[in-house]
Amino acid sequence: MTVTGSALRPSPAPRSADEERRLAAVDRYQILDTPPDGTFDKGAALAARIFRTPAAAITTADGYHLGTVNVLDTHPRQVTAEQLAALQNLAALVMDQLEMRLSAIRTVTSERQMRTAAERLARTLQRTLLPPALPQVPGLRAAAAYHAASADEVGGDFYDLFPLDDGRWAFFLGDVCGRGAEAAALTSLTRYTLRAAAIYGPDPCAVLANLDTVLKGEYPGTDPRHCTAVFGVLGRTEDSSFTLTLAGGGHPPASAVRADGTIQPLPVTGGQLIGLLPEPRFTQTSTHLAPGDALLLYTDGLTEARTPSGPMRQEEGLAAHLAAGTWDDADDLVAGIRRLLDHLGTGVNDDTALLALSVPIHPPAPAQETR
Amino acid sequence: MSNQTLTVTTSPHPVGAYVLTVTGELDHHTSPRLREALDEIALATGTGLVIDVSGLTYCDSTGITLLVTAYQRAQATGALLTLAGSSPDLLHLFRIVGLDQIFTLQPTTEQAIAALHS
Repeated sequence: MTVTGSALRPSPAPRSADEERRLAAVDRYQILDTPPDGTFDKGAALAARIFRTPAAAITTADGYHLGTVNVLDTHPRQVTAEQLAALQNLAALVMDQLEMRLSAIRTVTSERQMRTAAERLARTLQRTLLPPALPQVPGLRAAAAYHAASADEVGGDFYDLFPLDDGRWAFFLGDVCGRGAEAAALTSLTRYTLRAAAIYGPDPCAVLANLDTVLKGEYPGTDPRHCTAVFGVLGRTEDSSFTLTLAGGGHPPASAVRADGTIQPLPVTGGQLIGLLPEPRFTQTSTHLAPGDALLLYTDGLTEARTPSGPMRQEEGLAAHLAAGTWDDADDLVAGIRRLLDHLGTGVNDDTALLALSVPIHPPAPAQETR
Repeated sequence: MSNQTLTVTTSPHPVGAYVLTVTGELDHHTSPRLREALDEIALATGTGLVIDVSGLTYCDSTGITLLVTAYQRAQATGALLTLAGSSPDLLHLFRIVGLDQIFTLQPTTEQAIAALHS
């Protein structure tokens, strides 16, 4: 037996003001059109036992007159005062049950609302952690993208591109451990530390070491937080090429996409996680980006190993994807990788940040603005 | 990835080392299980601890943090922690994050135990 709409809501009859109030109370308790509830069944069985009747319909009762607790029998008879008292107690029990249900429903609803609000806040915070637009670098094209794997959980991928005091440009891309609001806070700390450290001394390994010190200071003891990152410095040469110095801390290699289509990984092998180890090593490598060359940095669930379709295969898939295509510039590269990510669909189980830099074959007009 | 499929069993090895066998996915959701199992082991100077990761199919950054924390705790007490049976994917991950230079790795638990007593 259930509490049903038909029992509580006499639909076609005209409604009095009292009836409107009663229906409002019924709605408030969210008891209409709900699935069968075992508690009401037990109450009905108990009523049937007390009255030795073949049937007991419970439609609830209380001060608001939500409904009534009814006992039915197949032949007319009198009930004792004792039995009536028991029926009242039973109605009170049913009411208690309704109150408890309502309180549980309210708790769950408010918890859900709080969680949704927290997730929205974390997503907003994360958006503020990425540059709204990349600056225009003279003689270079830059493009970036952020691919969120899940709408509910916020990852902690980050990137940035900014000028140094000496006319060179610095960039970084990385991934912090964890998810949600805590990851967003860690991302914020990481990003501003990297920018500040780069202004003081742009040696890529020194910048990563600086971040390592800051993370350990901020998260000491038993709850360490870490990140992985690639940090690079670009200097323009007279022949419109760029020199590139790149340091890595626990991050997958960046890829150089050469003008002739060759894909050259730029390994910073041996570089370790940032913020977790007592004396981490960071390694750096240098190369040239000539006109027609591009550099691609990415995060892709890099701190995950998963079989049988793990990021290792994804990494190989990425290399194959890069080798199979022809890429005009940074924008084209980022668009291509986004297509690959869309194609992989739910196989991508972590957020992915992309940053591509390319040197145009024909230098752009000289009056390009810097920001 | 978050369907809570991680089992951790601890068994004292006859020659005096603890062997923790970790099977399934080690991530944000499941790592408390391994942390609890690790916390229950009393480490002392010379204690051998082998984490058999051959059944690990997935490991995220939280899992990495936990393994590094376990390694550091073992070091601080003079215990010897070995990771045994890393899959090629897991080894690849350790290389990228530079932990292959930190962890003591062995192909199997038996080899790890033998190395502890050599």
